[in-house]
Amino acid sequence: MKTTIASLKKGESAIIKDFDADIIPLKLLEMGCLPGNLVKLLQIAPFGDPLYLDINGSHLAIRIETAREIEIESIIK
Amino acid sequence: MSKQNINVALIGNPNTGKTSVFNALTGLKQQVGNYPGITVEKKMGFCKLSNTIDANILDLPGTYSLNASSADENVVIELLLNKNDKLYPDVIVVVSEVENLKRNLLLFTQIKDLEIPTILVINMIDRMDYKGISLDIPYLESHLNTKIALVSSRKNIGIDSFKKLITTYKTLSTAPCLNASSIDEDYFDTLRKTFPNQSLYKLWLVITQDVNFVDLHRKSLKNNSFTKTDSELKRLQQKETIKRYQFINEILKVGQKVNSATAKDFRSKLDRILTHKVWGYLIFFFILFGIFQSIFEWSKIPMDYIDRTFANLSSLANNTLPPGAFTNLIAQGIIPGIGGILIFIPQITFLFLFISILEESGYMSRVVFLMDKIMRKFGLSGKSIVPLISGTACAIPAIMATRNIENWKERLITILVTPFTTCSARLPVYAIIIGLVIPDQFVFGFLNLQGLTLMFLYLLGFAMAIFSAYILHKVLKLNCKTFFVVEMPNYKLPLLKNVVINVIEKTKAFVFGAGKIILSIAVILWFLATNGPTHKFSDADTIITSKNENFGLNKTDLNSKIASYKLENSYIGIMGKSIEPAISPLGYDWKIGIAIISSFAAREVFVGTLATIYSVGGSDNEDTIKNKMASEVHPETGKKIFNFASGISLLLFYAFAMQCASTLAVTKKETNSWKWPLGQLVFMSGFAYIVALLAYQILK
Amino acid sequence: MLQEILAFITLGIAVVFLFKKFFFKRKKSDKNCGDDCNCH
Repeated sequence: MKTTIASLKKGESAIIKDFDADIIPLKLLEMGCLPGNLVKLLQIAPFGDPLYLDINGSHLAIRIETAREIEIESIIK
Repeated sequence: MSKQNINVALIGNPNTGKTSVFNALTGLKQQVGNYPGITVEKKMGFCKLSNTIDANILDLPGTYSLNASSADENVVIELLLNKNDKLYPDVIVVVSEVENLKRNLLLFTQIKDLEIPTILVINMIDRMDYKGISLDIPYLESHLNTKIALVSSRKNIGIDSFKKLITTYKTLSTAPCLNASSIDEDYFDTLRKTFPNQSLYKLWLVITQDVNFVDLHRKSLKNNSFTKTDSELKRLQQKETIKRYQFINEILKVGQKVNSATAKDFRSKLDRILTHKVWGYLIFFFILFGIFQSIFEWSKIPMDYIDRTFANLSSLANNTLPPGAFTNLIAQGIIPGIGGILIFIPQITFLFLFISILEESGYMSRVVFLMDKIMRKFGLSGKSIVPLISGTACAIPAIMATRNIENWKERLITILVTPFTTCSARLPVYAIIIGLVIPDQFVFGFLNLQGLTLMFLYLLGFAMAIFSAYILHKVLKLNCKTFFVVEMPNYKLPLLKNVVINVIEKTKAFVFGAGKIILSIAVILWFLATNGPTHKFSDADTIITSKNENFGLNKTDLNSKIASYKLENSYIGIMGKSIEPAISPLGYDWKIGIAIISSFAAREVFVGTLATIYSVGGSDNEDTIKNKMASEVHPETGKKIFNFASGISLLLFYAFAMQCASTLAVTKKETNSWKWPLGQLVFMSGFAYIVALLAYQILK
Repeated sequence: MLQEILAFITLGIAVVFLFKKFFFKRKKSDKNCGDDCNCH
């Protein structure tokens, strides 16, 4: 199984590795979700979805199905 | 020396304080579109920059990039690329914010590539020390080919030098930041050869967006086989975004220093509470509850005052002006009509006040985050919360606010169910009927029963919206790729100036927009109520006098009998009587029927209509609308017209019926089809009729 | 008489205003969204 943003635990950070460009909306890229950037999981909404992230300094929330498409590496606890 | 007039366009990411910069420049010299809505329509303002230069400031909808992903963002692109538009800017001001500079600069580099003079405003500089950020302005200016204005619209710092900077717009560099051809060399080479006179980035935007221009039509590009598949285009747009970020990162590496050690975090603590699985929902519920209780409690006094003042004005006009048709029109048509508009001002003001505080503070995004999962079960998005709450003000801006919902199915369902939420136009109807049929008592010593009823009606509206969304979710078969991105802005103390300007603008829009309609209808109603087609109307005096000869009535009673006979035989009376069979099972008389029909222009007209009908029908003008309604009895049974059963039935009818022509028009516009507004009309009104019928028959 | 003329002028203004408002709305090019999912 791939390691994705969805596998992060609250408070953990990681580096964005790769994602399928056709699935991820352009808007997310424009907000800084690009390979090589740092992502931190700040909060998880009640019932486990959506996820509240800090990507490259941008604070934003995405749904878990989108998070599952974004591969990450080198998780920092 | 003649004055020069220039166009300035303000553009920026959402939550950068763009609107406060706009307010700081223009103050109250603003014009918004007809309907309230936060920077959805074109918003213009005026600003005197110097003794020789005046500026028209255009506040464009907030956007993250020029790659439009919503109808709102299309507006931005169309304006910026159309040189023939009379609003085409002489200079563009990109508003950015110190904490999110990197992301804000993405939009800046795109704007810069349009080769229009551009100024970069960095807002919220008062937070720089607090966040441990320092900027090398000369470095940034030279590498971004622009001039930078450091401002704090909140603390009013730097606005004057910013204004001065705008006046120097002719000296600004128009050199682009990114060489568009580096996205795909071969492709852009051929483009350049075919259209030697166009800017490359502009061509690129036209290829990737669904926009057309006078001098550059998308079709002409299609014929030249420049189109690529959607997937190829998307890949190129991604490449573009990555290139832009590389450029920005290089510059900020030198131009921006962040000392994260000094950055303190208040946001995460508040987030933890406000999005908590128990506290989050409780706080949200209490905020809503508080809003509705205070709207009802606080606006009661000014509303009663306005009601009484206009009743007095009416009788004053009647007693002092020379008698005649025009005086009657003023006393019975125009004055009650204006009263019927002004009476809503207190409630609307409070409502808009609360909504704009929720939006300004950043709390609304937390609610979106909190509610998304739950809302999705009903086919809605967390973002549907914003239209559903702002729908309590007016469904029209609320429906326009659905534009930022990315998924079409979720957006469509939100549009269709939003009119169920209790809009401010229903409020006066509720207020007056609750005042008549629900006792003014307290339960548990502090909860006002009338306030509770109002709260219940609001909840009912929400519940019905959610319930119909669920049905639509199950019935509609649309397969859409879902995606959901919502920015979580930092918490901000709402800026009094912004809130006040927002509230004034919206109240003004209501008074002058809906107000004109209400007043016109009041005038027409008055004519219909004071003229009749048959001799029964013109000979009412003699008919009634001869009928009652033997009863020995005093003059007042006789006059009021004549007046009500006249009303029954006037045009409006005949219309009302003809629909009476349809509405009497609901407990309404023909006068209420007329009020319901005229409500189709705008619901608020209900109260004004009854005011007009009772003013014409009654002999004294001094009484308030509420007292007139309270004393109205059924001519045959002698029972009160506004009793508990008919009151509840009316409340339910107004809660569910689709009675707003403007909402239907905006649904048509946003869905591009008549199918959906017609569905709303038939389903909502049919349902309202059935529920009201059941309620009356059970309660009577 | 003057009173009646004034009253009818007011009526005329009201009718014309409402008529304009609801029947002669300036049509702008609406191309926001279709029935499909491609409205972004």
